[in-house]
Amino acid sequence: MTHIDPGLTGAQMTLSPEEHRRLAKRYRRRTTLTAYAFLGPNLVAFVVFLLIPVVWLLVSTFRTGGVLGPAEFVGLDNWRDTFSDPLARTSIRNTVVYSAMAIPAVFIIAMILALALHAIPRGGAPIRVALYLPTLQPAVVAAFIFTFVLHPDFGVINYAVRWLGGDPINFLGDTTLALPTIAGIEVWRGTGFWTMMFLAGLTALPGELYHAAELDGAGAIRRFIRLTLPLLRPTFYFAVIFATIVNLQLFDSVFALTDGGPVNSTVSVSLYIYRSLFLFGDIGFGATLSFLLVVTVLLLTGLQTYLLRDSK
Amino acid sequence: MSSSNSNRQLSSGRLWRVIAVILACALVAAACGNDDDSSDGSVPAAPEVGDSSSEPTGDSGGMAEDSSTPAPTAEPEPELSGTIGFIKGPHSAMEVEFNDQIIADFNAQVAPDVEVEFSTYDWPVHVAELTTLFASGSPPDVQYLVDLIYPAFAEQGVLHDMTDLVNDPDWAEERANISPFAWDLAEQQGGTWGVPVLGAVYNIFINETLLEEAGLLDSWDDSYESMLAAAEALTTDEVFGFGARTSAADFAWWDWYPYIHNAGGDVFSDDWTECGLVGQDVVDAMQFLIDIHTAGVTPAIGSVDNQGLFDLFAAGRIAILHHETPNIVALNENPPDFEWTVAAAPPGPQGHTVMGNFGILSIAEASDNKEAAWEFIKHWASAPQVGRFAEQVSLQVVRTDILDDLFADNPAMQKVQSEMVPRVQGLQPSPHIIEALQAAWPVVEDAFRGNRTGEEAIAGMCEAIDGVLAG
Repeated sequence: MTHIDPGLTGAQMTLSPEEHRRLAKRYRRRTTLTAYAFLGPNLVAFVVFLLIPVVWLLVSTFRTGGVLGPAEFVGLDNWRDTFSDPLARTSIRNTVVYSAMAIPAVFIIAMILALALHAIPRGGAPIRVALYLPTLQPAVVAAFIFTFVLHPDFGVINYAVRWLGGDPINFLGDTTLALPTIAGIEVWRGTGFWTMMFLAGLTALPGELYHAAELDGAGAIRRFIRLTLPLLRPTFYFAVIFATIVNLQLFDSVFALTDGGPVNSTVSVSLYIYRSLFLFGDIGFGATLSFLLVVTVLLLTGLQTYLLRDSK
Repeated sequence: MSSSNSNRQLSSGRLWRVIAVILACALVAAACGNDDDSSDGSVPAAPEVGDSSSEPTGDSGGMAEDSSTPAPTAEPEPELSGTIGFIKGPHSAMEVEFNDQIIADFNAQVAPDVEVEFSTYDWPVHVAELTTLFASGSPPDVQYLVDLIYPAFAEQGVLHDMTDLVNDPDWAEERANISPFAWDLAEQQGGTWGVPVLGAVYNIFINETLLEEAGLLDSWDDSYESMLAAAEALTTDEVFGFGARTSAADFAWWDWYPYIHNAGGDVFSDDWTECGLVGQDVVDAMQFLIDIHTAGVTPAIGSVDNQGLFDLFAAGRIAILHHETPNIVALNENPPDFEWTVAAAPPGPQGHTVMGNFGILSIAEASDNKEAAWEFIKHWASAPQVGRFAEQVSLQVVRTDILDDLFADNPAMQKVQSEMVPRVQGLQPSPHIIEALQAAWPVVEDAFRGNRTGEEAIAGMCEAIDGVLAG
């Protein structure tokens, strides 16, 4: 501990360079150790539950079996099978198409709702609760609900369609409608979450900038484009990455509603991984698809990080 | 600035070195894994299938009329003790209660000191559940497995080869009471993987009232053409003439199989090395199925699930419906306001078969109480127990000695058991059967939507099936 004589003047209190270096070094060491102490538990969890499984996944891509029976080294066979398997390609295409439909749709709807809620000065809580309720529904419950909404025979929508003189729409049984329908259901489930996320972002924006813009004569649209969107960049950054990760892992609603059908039109990568691992016992193939999914998510996250980086 | 750049380059270089090391380690571990793991799960040497002297000898008497009568083999063995697990898929909402009865009888008559822990798996995900249980290393000692999935588990060495147990001379009489075709389904890959106990027949339900009103009751099932004509005649704004499952999620192949079997085809060839969907009769059968699904006599393809189809039938809105016998219980308990009965699909050019699949009771290789497990299986498979259970859930039995007294108060089940079970042609219990059906079924779904001819559908299915067999 450095002792400072209270009788010293300001100039005399200046630390020598050597002492400054020593103290700075000690400070850095202490803050580094504190940081590691806080990061430690998360680091352990990261290594045990993510790094080791991913490495093990990579190992499994070069083997077959290993869960119920013995493992066998097969070289690059699983990789060849994965890239030549038509259903793997279909599942990747379906997942990408689904994400391309669901993510922009849910963001646009959620942003409109968040702006509307932000404009309500009082009494928005019940609306926020109502909007968030679908997010709380498990996929199986949502599937059950949408059975009564979409069913060609007794579904609410088709009841209305028939009442208007139209033919019933086979939402989940039509190969061209099934995937958009699943995307619609997921948008319904996700809208509440993203609305709250964007609303939180909007609430945190500095009000004085808007007042200034208003005084300068900027209209609502101009304020939204010139102020809101740029200021919400950190929120969008999180939203895009998180939504990409979640949607590329589409599984539960497909599993509950269509099981990949009709005619494989809703098979997602995660569903195909599940089938390969648990239904067909094809561990190496499933591991390869899983590893590809992990890498794809990492690459897309990296790309989004690059594109959405804060350009100064 | 340059320092920052060099640091970034350094970090980037380190990152690549770390990735390279991880990749190298992964490759080395993968290469070494072959040897490392060869001892921890190898398939046991397969003994020879039991000798022909133990083949069943046919009918040997009626079912025990009093379900409390001890099974012939139920000799008290007080030395048995411990706990065994038993897992089964539900065939009824009362599954637990029905099995508790069997377990109570087991404790009263066979092994009072053995505790049986019963649990159920969910049919839609039962393969995943069982895989996880086997992978855990401590699966339930006894499993009820259907012929669609057990071969894959047997191939991977997680089931105990029961050849010696089922050929025990002390159990020869009981073994002989089980139909030979059922043993054929349980004996594969050079081993015996369980004791056949139950079967599910995939029958047709018909609305007799509607068919009678249309004057078609005696002729609708003369041929495929007459069935299609009947379906067209019965279809109205409110009623669909015909219904069958169409999605893999509903195991729709059960309704497709009889037409293919009646045409002399099957998923695999006789030696299971290639696609068995060959010949003009198979193409014609497929074309008929496409025609009936595109004739406007069914609910929109893919619009109604398994339960929904049955509910429509029960509501009088489907006249001819492919489904399965456990729904006979539902119709008996809640009689619809029309007359109904069960039937088989019309005969085809090469046969008049009925589809059915069967369940066996197996012992896990990892079980540490195989003796108690075997005693429990013998008890479960005994005439009083399996007979009572079959009646409770409306499933078929594979024992030949209890047929006379079975389903005395259930005419529909009597008809199924006496007229359809003898015509059953089951599936080929190959380890690849479920993967082949899953791979090929989307082609059928596509064809049922009118997008393929019968010939194109069969070609597409064979391409998928051969792809699975090629590995």
